[in-house]
Amino acid sequence: MADKTKLGMEFPPYTFEVEKGKIAEFAMAVSQKESKDQVKAIYWDSAAAKAAGYGDVVPSPTFQTCFALWGGGGLMPILQTLSINLGRLLHGEEEYEYLAPIHPGDVMTGKSKVVSMYDKEKKDKPGKFMEFTVLETEIRNQRGELVIRSRSTLVER
Amino acid sequence: MANITFASVNVGDAMPTFTSDPVTRTHMVRYAGASGDFNPLHHDETFVKMFGMPRVISHGMLIMGITGRAITEWIEDKSLRKFSVRFAGMTEPVDLHDFENTKQRATITVTGKVVEKFEEAGEKRIRCEIQAADGLGAVKINGSFVAALP
Repeated sequence: MADKTKLGMEFPPYTFEVEKGKIAEFAMAVSQKESKDQVKAIYWDSAAAKAAGYGDVVPSPTFQTCFALWGGGGLMPILQTLSINLGRLLHGEEEYEYLAPIHPGDVMTGKSKVVSMYDKEKKDKPGKFMEFTVLETEIRNQRGELVIRSRSTLVER
Repeated sequence: MANITFASVNVGDAMPTFTSDPVTRTHMVRYAGASGDFNPLHHDETFVKMFGMPRVISHGMLIMGITGRAITEWIEDKSLRKFSVRFAGMTEPVDLHDFENTKQRATITVTGKVVEKFEEAGEKRIRCEIQAADGLGAVKINGSFVAALP
């Protein structure tokens, strides 16, 4: 059961250096491909990315999920802090706002905050509740520019 | 990729339908490594059996990633301003020893349509509603995205 006293709490910031190989690896994974030449060249070829009007290689749309998972020690410390039970956890919602480009070599810093915690009665089981925890994360690059704003809704069924 | 412009898009237009390969356990392992999400729910059948589940399930974020690919097959990556999803159902991978009978539940089809054209932050933008569902019609994701178009 999520610990409602954690509403408003901020997690320690985490950092993640964006590597070119990771961008390609991630694009291959979401594209269900086994080699990078089977995915769009903007995900791995700097010259092709520049020719297409990008500053360099760019990541695919959900790449920032790596930042917290690889750079922030993963999901488990967050769940432990919030007293959320992994066995009951569902990912409810995920939302991204894209505010500035991401390129290899960028060093991203993410800061997450618990912005909402609430219960909803189960439709099929009156008197039983699903618990919702909403985390908002701001991700800035090494120049301090806000690059991504994200919201994740975690659900305990 | 077609050159889509704000003027050429109308409210009600459908985005091209995208269909994934049937999701395999190998795709899920690759995604686990790429993303860093090593929740055993997604790769260890001996773990999920402790919860009475017959088999591992895909990362919801892999299905969001596939949905993101569907979007960026249609619009350019740099056009994307917002992308949000609500997860509506879990996805089980195809069983390779029973491929024909299980491929539909693991095949993700992404559809979408333009619901709004507007100006914001000095840009011409569209909002599209999107849905990801499997080959049996079970919905996995309801969501939307906003793109800035030339």
